[in-house]
Amino acid sequence: MATAIPSIACIGVIGRNNNPLHTSIFPSYDPSTTSYHPVRTPLQFSLILSSTLDVFELRSRQNAAAGVGLTGDFGLLHAVDDRLAAYGFETNTGTRFVVVVDMRGRRMDGAVAAGLADGRDSKRLAGAAAGLREGEMRPVFKAMQMAYIRLMQNPFFDPDEHSPPAGHGGRKITSRKFAEEMRRIGENWMPGVTNL
Amino acid sequence: MDDYPSGSLDHSVPFLLTLGTRTGSAYDAGLSAALKEQAVLIRSDLPPLDSDQARALLRYVQERDVSQLPCNAKEMAARKYRFRVKAAERSLLLPPRRASLPEGIDAPSPSLPTVLHSPYSPLSPISPLYPDGLVDTQWIRKHQDLVPSVLLCFYNLASDPTLATLCDNQIKTDVNNIRALLSQSGYKTRVAVVLLSDHVSSVSSGEGVQERLETIRRGCGLDSKALFLVPSSDSQEELERVAENMLTTLYTVSVEYYRDLGRHSRKKRGRGSVPQPTVPPTSGTSQTLSLAGWNVRYDFKSAVFAEYRLEMDVALRSYEQACENLLSSELMELIPSWSPRWNEARFLADVIAVRCLRCLLWSGQHSAAARRWQLHRERIADFVDRRGRGTNNYGWEAWEARWAVVMADLIDKADIPDLAPTTLKLFVAPEKSVMGERLQPWEFLHHTGYWHRLAAKHLQARRTLAHVIPVDDRRSPSASPASHVAKSAFAYDTYMCPDPYEEFPLDRPGVNHTQMIADRLMRARSEFLKRCQTRFAAEVTLECARELALAEHWPEIISLLRPVWKGLPFRNEGWIAIAEELNWALRAAAAEVGDAELLLLTSWELLSRDFTRRPDWHYDISKALEGVEPTIKPTVSIRDGQLQAFVSASFHFVKEEGKAGQSVCSQLSIVSSAHPDSAPVVLSSIYLSFNGCLDGIVLRHHADGHATQQCRTKAILSTVTLTTQADADANVEPLESDRASTGVTLIGSADLTLLPGKIMVFNMGIPLREPGETLAESLTLNLDSEAFGLRQSLAFHDATIARLWYISPSVTKHITHPRPLAVRVLPRPPKMEVSCTVWKEQYYTDEPISFRFEVENGEDVKALAKVDVVLFGEKPPSFTLEIPGQELQTSSSVRSEETRLSGAPMGTIESSKSLPVGLLLPPIQHSSRYDLTLKVTYFLPTNPGTPISQTAVFQVNVVNPFEANYDLLPRVHRNPWPSLFDPEGIAPPNTADNDSIPLPPRGISQAWTLITRYASFASEALRVTDVDITIQPHPTTFRCTSTKRTGLPASGAGRLVNPKTIQEAAFDLAAQKLTVDDRSHAPLDVSLLIKWTRVDDANDPTAVNTTTLPIPRFTLFGTEPRVLASVSHHHHRGTTTTTTTGVVTTPSPLISLTITIENASNHFLTFGLAMEPSEQFAFSGPKQTSLNLLPVSRRSVEYRLLPLDAPTADEEDEDGDGEEEAPGGWWIWPGLVVRDKYFQKVLRVIPASEGVRGAKEGFEVWVPRWMVFGSVGVEEEGEGGEE
Repeated sequence: MATAIPSIACIGVIGRNNNPLHTSIFPSYDPSTTSYHPVRTPLQFSLILSSTLDVFELRSRQNAAAGVGLTGDFGLLHAVDDRLAAYGFETNTGTRFVVVVDMRGRRMDGAVAAGLADGRDSKRLAGAAAGLREGEMRPVFKAMQMAYIRLMQNPFFDPDEHSPPAGHGGRKITSRKFAEEMRRIGENWMPGVTNL
Repeated sequence: MDDYPSGSLDHSVPFLLTLGTRTGSAYDAGLSAALKEQAVLIRSDLPPLDSDQARALLRYVQERDVSQLPCNAKEMAARKYRFRVKAAERSLLLPPRRASLPEGIDAPSPSLPTVLHSPYSPLSPISPLYPDGLVDTQWIRKHQDLVPSVLLCFYNLASDPTLATLCDNQIKTDVNNIRALLSQSGYKTRVAVVLLSDHVSSVSSGEGVQERLETIRRGCGLDSKALFLVPSSDSQEELERVAENMLTTLYTVSVEYYRDLGRHSRKKRGRGSVPQPTVPPTSGTSQTLSLAGWNVRYDFKSAVFAEYRLEMDVALRSYEQACENLLSSELMELIPSWSPRWNEARFLADVIAVRCLRCLLWSGQHSAAARRWQLHRERIADFVDRRGRGTNNYGWEAWEARWAVVMADLIDKADIPDLAPTTLKLFVAPEKSVMGERLQPWEFLHHTGYWHRLAAKHLQARRTLAHVIPVDDRRSPSASPASHVAKSAFAYDTYMCPDPYEEFPLDRPGVNHTQMIADRLMRARSEFLKRCQTRFAAEVTLECARELALAEHWPEIISLLRPVWKGLPFRNEGWIAIAEELNWALRAAAAEVGDAELLLLTSWELLSRDFTRRPDWHYDISKALEGVEPTIKPTVSIRDGQLQAFVSASFHFVKEEGKAGQSVCSQLSIVSSAHPDSAPVVLSSIYLSFNGCLDGIVLRHHADGHATQQCRTKAILSTVTLTTQADADANVEPLESDRASTGVTLIGSADLTLLPGKIMVFNMGIPLREPGETLAESLTLNLDSEAFGLRQSLAFHDATIARLWYISPSVTKHITHPRPLAVRVLPRPPKMEVSCTVWKEQYYTDEPISFRFEVENGEDVKALAKVDVVLFGEKPPSFTLEIPGQELQTSSSVRSEETRLSGAPMGTIESSKSLPVGLLLPPIQHSSRYDLTLKVTYFLPTNPGTPISQTAVFQVNVVNPFEANYDLLPRVHRNPWPSLFDPEGIAPPNTADNDSIPLPPRGISQAWTLITRYASFASEALRVTDVDITIQPHPTTFRCTSTKRTGLPASGAGRLVNPKTIQEAAFDLAAQKLTVDDRSHAPLDVSLLIKWTRVDDANDPTAVNTTTLPIPRFTLFGTEPRVLASVSHHHHRGTTTTTTTGVVTTPSPLISLTITIENASNHFLTFGLAMEPSEQFAFSGPKQTSLNLLPVSRRSVEYRLLPLDAPTADEEDEDGDGEEEAPGGWWIWPGLVVRDKYFQKVLRVIPASEGVRGAKEGFEVWVPRWMVFGSVGVEEEGEGGEE
């Protein structure tokens, strides 16, 4: 068990109208079969992502009352169970990024260990296995925001189509480049990564 | 927590037992039967108290029981004591301190005395732990329930003096008796006495009571802290105060008691040796508890006693130590997993871990608690994996679930304020000590909902594992071969859960997993709902529904899911997968229950292509109710947005506006996004609802097979003719019958078969009736079959509507106007024409203006009309309106720039007839410009309520037809001036004045000629009939008469003056002052009057207009002397000559020049006249002379000039006067100088007749050519004669 380290299980982008814009699901390591496959079905991930909306609402209410939370980083939204935890970020325009982390999603094999231990001591490895520090997800959100900004810069991308200012719902993001970027972020992140 | 034996996990609270009050039932501590025989009976001999006071006190003390209260440090800080209170009436049983030697077992050796141990110790054969057990629940319960720390005895303190002594003695005896029994039993339970005084103690008896108390205390050998007096008082406050005091005191006693016990166990641990059992074990392995085991036991004990004392840090340390030792290689590793001790050890480990968790939660170390929870789970999992039956079986999952529930219960008990539902926090922030560390997200202590859900997840796993138990193992052991039983006995982890044949029996229902899961999920759900986590709650609800579906609790599913399905915004927000899951779950339940409406709704929604297609589903709405037989025909009505409808609709008007009475093209398109292979939906009718002049449009289904023909293309176009409802059959559509409608409903019919993936497009021409805005609001689709009725509403929104207009099935165009849903209906255009028959470009000032308008009714019917006339401009005149058959009406001035005549009735104008209207404007003085507006408002008898108006605007230009300039030239008045020195002259009879004014003027007189040149500025030729002047205002100081020389024909017919031509008219003015004394300046104000007519004004030629042009003011008279030069050409004399000589023309060449000097002053003036000889003429007259002028007199000097010759062109140039030579003569310049002798000042000679003009110096005289060259002979003769 100590050989498992956290990995991203799912990345979700949720629009201003609480509408799902994008979902990427990543496989997790299953020690019983020593293979990688997603820990939940797409429907379950969909439910997990949608349930984070509750937390966003609660948290923004609390933030508004306390006058904090200007950075948009909501940190840990909640731990869905003892394995999965959802982290959130909200942009100025109300688009929300949710990252579901599987705390035992990746096996600490040689390659990963080598990647982690480049020049650093093994203490960090042990720490990585133990848990996540506050702000550990910040690089992920930063990278996601960069990708989202790049998407918005596309003149053919009409944000209002995806989150109509008045009304509800909206279309999903179909940009292949954006999906590719999300995939890259989800696959490359591991605890302690500071730049994606 | 309920799975664990009662009492094993409870928080340890000091135990207080009261004795001596009536409780109604006998006290039973629940001593086990085996121990009951040997139990120690402690009884009071006195009757139990039954007074109100005793009961009140007992009740109060019992109410202070804290065993059910939240267990955290904050709660404790508010209290001074904590007790778990029980009440016994007269007696109680205590477990034996020492277990008796079991029968049949003799002392091992008579030489050694048999050492008896506690019946709860593994040393006593009577104990289940014998010989090598650790600790069990019994021991925990012993201190919690059986052996009180304080025994509080209630006694009555009799106030009756006669009974006092007896009573006191009885109390003493009883207390001593109890104390003796207790010390016999070996327990160190503290005895306390509370005396209830039954009498209001007076002050005098106060001392006596104190004395009695002292006696009793001493008699019983009690501590001063152990005797309490409750004075007899009615006040509850007093009672409470005493009770509080008492309990606080007792608490310290109680804590002391537990401290003693704790010290005792520590002492035993410190011995470091294994105690010998009473009897050496003879059964089993004959193994006794090892020293490590004993240490665990002692640590556990001291931890529990510390917990009693609320020394949670100490307790935690001891528990951790016990736990470490227990799980160490010396203890648990050595216990074989087949042994019952293995499970007991696991149980003890659980108990210790739970108590650790409680200690951590108590001190607010929430993250540490969560971490401890995980740690314990991992350690046990590790153990079970290595030493036990592995973690891949239902038993382990059962334990996992239980472990999560335990945590949930602990959190509940701890009542963490940060997790209270009102804070809306989902988890507590980690405590400071772990703040910077790497934390697992789960180590942020989440609220119990998460824990319950975790438990449910493990229960699900347990069920899954239970369901894979092989059939052989599921058979009950009695039905299985013994060998198999033996094999399977060790294959399953049955720690605190049933055997496989109980868990999932073959022939009967076993453990109700579903119920357990559903219970957990429902608890989780309620926690989530409390914290507004509606979506998470919905997720849990969905899981719960799945469980219930397995158990086939269909009605519950519907009651659970229906609010989620209806209320939550999953489908609006686009979480299609979730909505789909809900739909299928609900549909399945509805099909089972027979809820036809729900079936219809879900089947309707599932038709949408947004959902994934299930291959085994028919996707036919007409089959939705298959298998359900509702008693009444179900009808459902679906709001817009209520469901993820597979139909969407849009509507457009082709134009933004239309006119009433016309019709406008519109298009309704209905898009089906049903699954491609779903059955076509045949709508029975659709209703298009409008807001505005139109009420709605109903299209009814009329199968013509048209749709199926065209279905190769995506869109199916059809044109629908609409009729009003009155025209259609009397079959009233139920939809609009209940609408209180004033508008019109149109009806049409079309093929309403909605094919999947197709677009139905209906072109409709909608007649517009009333002005205003008509807006398409919504569309209702009606599906009415024999089995059911369904109505789907779709609202239109400008923002979201698809703006496509289908020109043909494959060609569309984009509709550009901003609001395609609305059409602005303009009012019906007026057909009343207003025209002016004669309209002139210009009208002139001083002319009465009349207009003639024709108002023509172009409507099909007669019209009742009124007219409003507005004249707008600068100071518009009031006007008069002339309507045949009506009175003349005059306008009123509303503002300075507007005159108005409102609502002048015009009567009824027949169709295609016209009505002449005259408008008269009085003469206007000044040139100006006006806007004339005629607004005819009329009503048609067909629609009397709607006014229709037509407006015509005309521009009226009023200009001045003439402009003029003026010259006032002085002349010599012929009449002599009055003499100042001649009284005769001043005398009234004056023949020069033939005026009939009563006071004839006698002053000096002057003559003038006013020459006016007027030009026509009209755009057309005008006929000027007369020109005149008026002297306005009439002068007061002088009299003025005028004679006109207009140059107009004398006939009075006037002269036609063309535009931009100049005409001249001259007026001779003669002015005379009224008195000779008045010689001052006098102003003269004259106006020029031009009388004219329009040339083309055929109908009224006599209408003569008079234009008055004011002339700038002239100034007459004055006291300055004037020198006037006038000439006469002697042609009179010449003519006379001619007559006498008989020659036809013999003009005299002489020009007589008269210089008149006027002296209007009061001075005697002398002027010198000098005439220079000239080459141009010869002259006779004084060459140089002086003239003396008396005051107010004038004198003349006459010269006769003979022009010598006409100047040649060269001479003219030399003169340089620049005058062009007139053909009729030439100018000569007499060098005449008039000088004021006194002032030596040259006076200007003023030309005062025709033929004289001013020059640069002096003046010039005109020599007409005819005079000199009348005939050559005469001329020569004349010249010679003059010489």
